[in-house]
Amino acid sequence: MQATLSALLAKASAEFVGLQSRADFEAAKARYVGPNGELTALMKQMGAVPKEQRPALGKLINEAKGQLQGQLDAALARISSAEIAAQLGPAIDPTLPSPDAGPGTSHPLTLVREEMCRILRKAGFAVVEGPEVETEYYCFDALSTPADHPARDAQDTFYFPAQARFGNISKKVAEEKYLLRTHTSSVQIRTMLKGKPPLRVVSPGRVYRRDTSDATHSANFHQIECLYVDKNVTVRDLKALLDYIFASLLGKNTKTRFRPHYFGYTEPSFEVDLSAQHLPKVNKEWIEIGGCGMVDPAVFEGVGYDSTVWTGYAFGMGLERLAMLMYGIDDIRYFYQNDLRFLKQFT
Amino acid sequence: MKISRNWLKQYVALDASVDELKRAITLLGFEVEGVINTGLPPLAQVVVGEIKTREKHPNADKLSICTVDVGLAQGGVRTIVCGAPNCDVGNRVPVALPGAILPGNFKIKESKIRGQASAGMLCAADELGLTGSASGLLILAADAPIGVAVNEIMPEGDTVFDLEVTPNRPDALSHIGMARELAAWFRRPVEFPATTFRGITNQVLRPDILASVRVEVPEDCPLYFGLSLTGVKVGPSPAWLQERLQAVGLRPINNLVDVGNYVMLELGQPLHIFDAKKIKGQQLIVRRAVEGEKLLTLDGKERILSARMVVIADAAQPLVIAGIMGGANAEVEAQTTDIVIEAACFRPQSIRGTAKRLGLASDSSYRFERGVDPHGTVAAAYRAVDLIQATAGGTVVGPACLVGGDQTWTREIIVSPDYIRERLGFYISDEEMRGALEALNLIIVAAVARPPAVDWTVKIPSYRTDLDRPIDLVEEVLRIYGTDRVPPALAVGPALADGDDDPIAIFNRQVTAYLVGQRFHEVVNYTLRSRHELATWVSDTAAAELALANPFVDDQSHLRPTLVLGLLAALKLNQSRGVPATQLFETGRVFMELNGTVQEYLGAAFLLCHNPKERSWLARSAPDFYTVKQHLMILAQQAGIDWASTELRPISGAGWGWQAGHAAVAGESSIGWSVCGGLLDLPMVRAAGVEGTVWAGMLAILPEKLTSSAGHRRYQSFGLFPTVLRDLALVVAAARSAEEVRRALLGIAQASTGSAFAIEAVEIFDVYQGQGLPEGKKSLGFSLSFRSQERTLTDDEVNAVFTKIQQQIVADGSITVRA
Repeated sequence: MQATLSALLAKASAEFVGLQSRADFEAAKARYVGPNGELTALMKQMGAVPKEQRPALGKLINEAKGQLQGQLDAALARISSAEIAAQLGPAIDPTLPSPDAGPGTSHPLTLVREEMCRILRKAGFAVVEGPEVETEYYCFDALSTPADHPARDAQDTFYFPAQARFGNISKKVAEEKYLLRTHTSSVQIRTMLKGKPPLRVVSPGRVYRRDTSDATHSANFHQIECLYVDKNVTVRDLKALLDYIFASLLGKNTKTRFRPHYFGYTEPSFEVDLSAQHLPKVNKEWIEIGGCGMVDPAVFEGVGYDSTVWTGYAFGMGLERLAMLMYGIDDIRYFYQNDLRFLKQFT
Repeated sequence: MKISRNWLKQYVALDASVDELKRAITLLGFEVEGVINTGLPPLAQVVVGEIKTREKHPNADKLSICTVDVGLAQGGVRTIVCGAPNCDVGNRVPVALPGAILPGNFKIKESKIRGQASAGMLCAADELGLTGSASGLLILAADAPIGVAVNEIMPEGDTVFDLEVTPNRPDALSHIGMARELAAWFRRPVEFPATTFRGITNQVLRPDILASVRVEVPEDCPLYFGLSLTGVKVGPSPAWLQERLQAVGLRPINNLVDVGNYVMLELGQPLHIFDAKKIKGQQLIVRRAVEGEKLLTLDGKERILSARMVVIADAAQPLVIAGIMGGANAEVEAQTTDIVIEAACFRPQSIRGTAKRLGLASDSSYRFERGVDPHGTVAAAYRAVDLIQATAGGTVVGPACLVGGDQTWTREIIVSPDYIRERLGFYISDEEMRGALEALNLIIVAAVARPPAVDWTVKIPSYRTDLDRPIDLVEEVLRIYGTDRVPPALAVGPALADGDDDPIAIFNRQVTAYLVGQRFHEVVNYTLRSRHELATWVSDTAAAELALANPFVDDQSHLRPTLVLGLLAALKLNQSRGVPATQLFETGRVFMELNGTVQEYLGAAFLLCHNPKERSWLARSAPDFYTVKQHLMILAQQAGIDWASTELRPISGAGWGWQAGHAAVAGESSIGWSVCGGLLDLPMVRAAGVEGTVWAGMLAILPEKLTSSAGHRRYQSFGLFPTVLRDLALVVAAARSAEEVRRALLGIAQASTGSAFAIEAVEIFDVYQGQGLPEGKKSLGFSLSFRSQERTLTDDEVNAVFTKIQQQIVADGSITVRA
């Protein structure tokens, strides 16, 4: 019997080494330890063996069974690892580039706008929006722009034909013309008419000027304007807010300066200069960045606010100009060309 | 406007440096757009020298060694190496001695040039800060005294400031005006030009020169003053007058014209001077032009006038376009002996309108458009008389013709210093405020105590028409105090910010965050597009509604009805520059027309391009309609649109930019929003010069329809017992929409499960058409998942329901179950 078992183990061992697939393995396993397997057959002969020989024989068979199982396990492990290797394919080359696109990007004008809104949010200003198609009242009249002011001229402002109808843009007077807003100040008027003081709002948005496009002018561009209406608002408050904004946006060593100026809807009015020579391509001591002033009492009266009670300030600036200053961009047209080599530089 | 420093010094003592003046002008509220230095700047240690000898430099071909006499006081004759070709013996030239500092901070020292000692530099004009040819030394007059500073023999330098004057300050459009401002800043007195002529006294009446003035349009010409002189002699102006005019960029013509210009630039009052012999009928008439009337103006152009324009005419014809430009027919000439000086005021709006309609602007119209002080008009004529008599002689003769101008000026503003401090938000003493106001000739004529406050009555001079309310004086005080002296403070916000950002801003942020996260690049395009571009997107009728009345350029004439036009243009630009671009997006306003009315929508759009020319070592699958659909769904949900009850309809027929059969639309203008997306029309993409296959999607929604997708959510139990799945393949007509079949199946499944348990989802996992199926049919594979919230379902109960579903779905005969 011992000889039979040894022969069987030797045969199995030779056979198992050559097994290549899981199916072959299962068939081979069945040939030895399956219900009709060779080892199973030997075990069945145990019943015919005299009782006294059974322990010794049983031990022999068990040993053989154990050895056979060991051989099976080894074969299975070998087959499994071959299977995994086949599934994995060749090793990767980590130096090859990923074919997937890089990260998406926000436009630099969006980045600057959102940064400004975030800074202003901390000072309590909420974003308000208004239509880009406006009427003469909201864009000019309510802001004390006289009827013959050059800014209203068809030479500088885009108008729509008298018969044009815009369904969701309200007119103050039936005969006024539609136009493309020349500044976001129209949103201030709509906001004041809709709400009640005190107000702290910021209106970023697209504006239009009928102008030649060149390195510093664009047919449409973007502004961001702030309006604060409350009791006892002062020139000093306005200066403090501007100092806060530009220190937050451009760094603590940024200084601002007021220069007296004239706007129809603020009194006093100022232009704001920045001193920020740490920025790229800035080689002047003072650079003009925007306009501001104390809301003119006439504007308050026009929207039904009592100008003896309410005071306020407003300021506005061009987002393109700000972005050009921050990033050292020297041509406004780059913002509208959308060359990805430009767009990918800012996020 | 150009202002000369030397000219200003006639009226106010200005010893400040150019930089200090520039700062003062800037802080007074006048933007300095340019500073031009003319003439020789003050130069120490630069003297007249005479070249005594000249030898060739032994070590350099182009250099000479000169000995130069600079006078005994400067050490006599010295040796200087010079590179100029004209350092000839006998020439007197400027010599910069060691220690001199030339413009550009160029310091002169004793040095060795190619081994030869050189004790100074012989100077060319540009090296001294003069404009002029740079070729060679500046040769001085042969009698220029040796050793004398060059500043002493050269005319004094001047600085001309080019200013921007804001439209509210017409009073500053003159040298006197700016002198008043600077005098206030530096707290110096203003010395006005002394006028000796004070009106006609000799009683000589010469009605044969000018008998009368008739003003037919007093509303457009509130004041007209005409004054005659006889016996003037036309000739060139004296040098000082020519210099003044040239400094600020005017060309001297003759003494009469030059005086007219000078007085305008000095006092801000434009004048006109007529050759009296050319006035027919001895009367000047201020009237409206006759429609179509012509006038050859001094610039040599024939102007066709309209009835809205005002002219100064004689009995026969117009002579001057009022306040803008004279005609050639009454021009002063060399033979002119008798003249009429016109000093008048015209309504700014009238002048502005005429100048604009004629496309004709002049120094005169520039001032009249902004407003000229009528209270200085006659005085300006008198000033001109003085200067004409000084430069051209002549006698003033009567009658002096004055029409209008009878309004007297009184304006007072009552303001309290406390009010000014309250508006400023910081402390300035009463005394300092008074000082600031009075420096501007805003005199406090009364102070009425109103304890604890005081009210000042401030008298406003006639030239400051911009001041009429207390708030206006706040600005005046601050201007003179210095707007750069507003003290710093901490920005103060409210304790709690009230109000949230506008839903539009929130929506744009969400869309941007999502699409950037999906690897899209944000682009920004112009709102205005060309008519040609629109043709691919909207009908001619719709395009007409989107047109501007006055486009500036042809390719920006219409509002955009879609963002896709811009996205496509951006894609094309990148492709043409060889920059790989696959995913772009934009948010912005779009304009859509419905029944003749245009609405302004919020738009969000994206574009995906698969360009086979852009190669990769490892292929990725191309995008398709369903990529677009997924992005559209998320954008719609961010806009608060109920996507679950939204059905996309295929676009067939004319797709307006979309490829029929490969794009779809949902919503419509009438409900306030729409989404569309899919493959862009291939011929359109080719025509646009774009390579590859391009998909796009756009959402447009009226701002008022936007609802926040955020808000309070409520938890729903998601079931802990396992689902039981059954698959079912249905054969339907190929044209039938999958969603319709799915909804039918879902409805039957829901009815079949009843209340015992739930059909949790019916999802499509397979679409098949072809072999094994009848022509015109397709097979849709659905996976049905059943679940109970209370227990584990048994196969038997699910099988019973599943059988029922299979029986019912085929009931109407349009659907069969695929074996």
